[in-house]
Amino acid sequence: MAAMGGNQRQMMEDAAEDKFPEGLRVLAVDDDRVCLKVLEVLLRHCKYQPTMVMDAKKALKILRAGKEQFDLVLTDVRMPDMDGFQLLELIGLEMDLPVIMLSVDCDKKAVMKGINHGACDYLMKPVHTNELKTYGSMFKVGEDPKQ
Amino acid sequence: MEYANLRRQAASLKRSLFDQGYLDEQFCQVEDLQDEASPNFAEEVVSLFFKDSARLVTNIEQAMEKYPKDFNRWDAHMQQLRGSCFSIGASKMNNECTSFRNSCGEENAEGCRRTFQKVKREHAILRQKLESYFQLLRQAGPARAATRPGSM
Repeated sequence: MAAMGGNQRQMMEDAAEDKFPEGLRVLAVDDDRVCLKVLEVLLRHCKYQPTMVMDAKKALKILRAGKEQFDLVLTDVRMPDMDGFQLLELIGLEMDLPVIMLSVDCDKKAVMKGINHGACDYLMKPVHTNELKTYGSMFKVGEDPKQ
Repeated sequence: MEYANLRRQAASLKRSLFDQGYLDEQFCQVEDLQDEASPNFAEEVVSLFFKDSARLVTNIEQAMEKYPKDFNRWDAHMQQLRGSCFSIGASKMNNECTSFRNSCGEENAEGCRRTFQKVKREHAILRQKLESYFQLLRQAGPARAATRPGSM
């Protein structure tokens, strides 16, 4: 680092800061309380602002109400009532939000289904902090997620 | 010192839980999430896990009785239980859940019954061991999160 010019160093420092921007507003959906509890703390440790809900219909209600703005949705695939794929589809139709699927299985068909329906990523549980941190740089607050 | 001894016992118990495959790395991640704001986070999560998993186990039992050979239904319930197991690193229990799901896939009712008994057994064993572990930690006194097995 000492060999670098001042500008380069500044750029790298900026990039390092950009990597983990604070305040990414995440809506996380999972019917499993244990998963949700761990995920919430993981998201806080990434310095994100998580909102946790236990069912997809409630998540949609919150999103449609528009009172709270979100940058990213994380959703479990398998949920009773409305599953993650249905939620993904509705979000894709009604709003411009990146959605990431979470699942205990890495079933190829399910992954393809998720991607074909517009999911930005498909993560296997248990999720790790370093996986979540990358989204901060991808979906920065205020930036167009489709870029 | 009494407290140091208790902490050593807790660390030793945790090491054996890893060595015997009851827990995996995910449990460490849960403990690592503890901080000053939530010093008992791991115990809270584990407590929640056993509350919810007990209910799920009962659901599966009832489903097996009420809906004989409805392997899809049984499997769906077990999927739920597996999800929770992943979250706390309940490795052995998770393996038995997978065996159950395999039996469902093979439409093997007897296999399902056998593996379900194993799931229940692992559930009970893990509960007892983790209760002991957290009790030791509580007795050892407040403060530092337990260290990882093998680390200083």
